[in-house]
Amino acid sequence: MPAPSHAEQYSGYPRLAETLRFGMWIFLASETLLFAGLFALYASYRAMFRADFTQAIQHNTLAYGTVNMYVLLTSSFTVALSLATLRRNRPRVTLALLLATAALGGVFLVVKALEYAEHVRNGALPGPFYHWQALPTFGANRFFTMYWLMTGLHALHVMAGVVVVLWLARRTHRRRYTAARHATFEMGTLYWHLVDVMWLFLWPILYLA
Amino acid sequence: MKDERGDGMTDETSSSADGESGTSAVPFSRYAGTYLALVLLATGSLVLSRLHLGGLSVALLIAAAKAILVLWFFMHLSTQSASSRLAVLAAVVMIGTLVALTALDVETRHTFPAHTQPPPSSGFYERSSR
Repeated sequence: MPAPSHAEQYSGYPRLAETLRFGMWIFLASETLLFAGLFALYASYRAMFRADFTQAIQHNTLAYGTVNMYVLLTSSFTVALSLATLRRNRPRVTLALLLATAALGGVFLVVKALEYAEHVRNGALPGPFYHWQALPTFGANRFFTMYWLMTGLHALHVMAGVVVVLWLARRTHRRRYTAARHATFEMGTLYWHLVDVMWLFLWPILYLA
Repeated sequence: MKDERGDGMTDETSSSADGESGTSAVPFSRYAGTYLALVLLATGSLVLSRLHLGGLSVALLIAAAKAILVLWFFMHLSTQSASSRLAVLAAVVMIGTLVALTALDVETRHTFPAHTQPPPSSGFYERSSR
């Protein structure tokens, strides 16, 4: 008798996939709460140093942040298409789209590194290391402290996301997923989308207004 | 027992066509349309910011609209179970509560200094205005 395709507590594979989905959404929700603490701190400092924050945002590296906004939107599109093509049983296209997604994640990190280098050159460093002569206010110090915390935590998530997407690519290459059975693939794509969603909110508060 | 195919639970190598959520029929055009909308919203937000129109609240509203598009179409929240949607709703409510109440405290306090100060030893900072 062959081994069953799912543990006995599940009535079938669809039930297993549904359970995984629910668990994944709870995990993603808890991930956003990790960021929520930083958003709350940002909002508090912004309320304390309104003018300094506005000035610091105007001096921030808008071009880098904006390029990365479009990069992540595009990567969200490619990873959504990778799932759609998998469901249409086109594993080669799926693999290409996953590799494109990972590459876009790499582009994001390179742009981020260039941007960090500019901040280091300016002296726009967090906490006691802050010494940017163009913005010698304590509010600007608070802004760039939050900037490093939030973008740093986000960059860690991008790195983890690239690892997840490459892992999906490896398993796709080995034909571990089919059009009907790919629950873990779907979970991986959800994680990548979360990385994009976080940047959707970081971009306006750190670069726009 | 159509679900009991001969492979391990985590291998997902069975080619059976039994059961998936109803997302397999999503046309490519819907993804393309969502992407186009996201790019347009991002560009609109950027233009508004350069023209100094709207400020933070408009920028955050546009970000929320983009997040809804990503969640609903890219992440298929449109076809997820009610319990999964509840997890998202709970996160939104909790983030909103946490951020709003924390900021409101700072906005409305009278018993503390209006803002934190740099260390007294530091002569680097100009005086901050609110």
